[in-house]
Amino acid sequence: MAQSNASISTAENGLGMEVVFTRTFDAPRNLVFKVWTDSSHLVEWWGPHGFTNPRCEWDARPGGEIHIDMRGPDGRIYPMSGRFQEIVEPERLVFVSAALDDSREPMFEVLNTVTFAEDGGKTILTLTARVITSTPNAPQYLKGMEVGWRQSLERLSVQVDKALSTERV
Amino acid sequence: MTHDSLSTTFAALADPTRRAILARLALREASVTELAEPFRMSMPAVSKHLKVLERAGLIARGREAQWRPCRLQAAPLKDVAGWLENYRRFWEESFDRLDEYLRTLKKEKQRGSKQRKH
Repeated sequence: MAQSNASISTAENGLGMEVVFTRTFDAPRNLVFKVWTDSSHLVEWWGPHGFTNPRCEWDARPGGEIHIDMRGPDGRIYPMSGRFQEIVEPERLVFVSAALDDSREPMFEVLNTVTFAEDGGKTILTLTARVITSTPNAPQYLKGMEVGWRQSLERLSVQVDKALSTERV
Repeated sequence: MTHDSLSTTFAALADPTRRAILARLALREASVTELAEPFRMSMPAVSKHLKVLERAGLIARGREAQWRPCRLQAAPLKDVAGWLENYRRFWEESFDRLDEYLRTLKKEKQRGSKQRKH
């Protein structure tokens, strides 16, 4: 079984909110990187259980576009789009993604950074997702005040955990 | 909950001063003067932040003319938590499927190399 954990923290630069996911896969890094960058592989695993990807355009090179239509078990289509910013084989992928609303307009954007670390034949994958907003950076002296927010986010993440575990029971 | 209001909440939360104001209000309600104090900011600057928070529905302000206390409104934060929950489920389940897929690829590879030996 793959190991996994998720945590919520604030971004280092004080811009918005970050969610970090870590998972260890029992496969070599080159292979894990390949199934992340080749759309014919990605289509096989992208999305929650029971979802398929009737449209899966995933052009993994700098500037390359992303267009994915996920189809849920109920038949509903969930479209998303995005663009790659950075690719360092086989270590790092950076892309912006946005879920689209019913009129295929992007909602808020998320900056995703995926890193692949080798660990004795296994691969530690870390995904950092940050909600992007256009608010300019805050003055340096305000950084100390991040602590309070981090604590409230931690409380928030505990609530999310509780909600999730209740659902799964 | 519309997506627009979720973006408005994220935009309001993107600023550290506003997050600090919310953290402060999580303890108890406060006046603009009380909120301005620790930030070394002018009252108009703090008022501007409070307007953004109010528009996003993250705070409510009292009607008393003299000191209009600000109170934290938790509903939009719950929407953010809901979004996070969906987002987390998306990745947790995608990673489950990725794990299974990698196992399938490995098995196929093993089968392939055995066939080549025969």
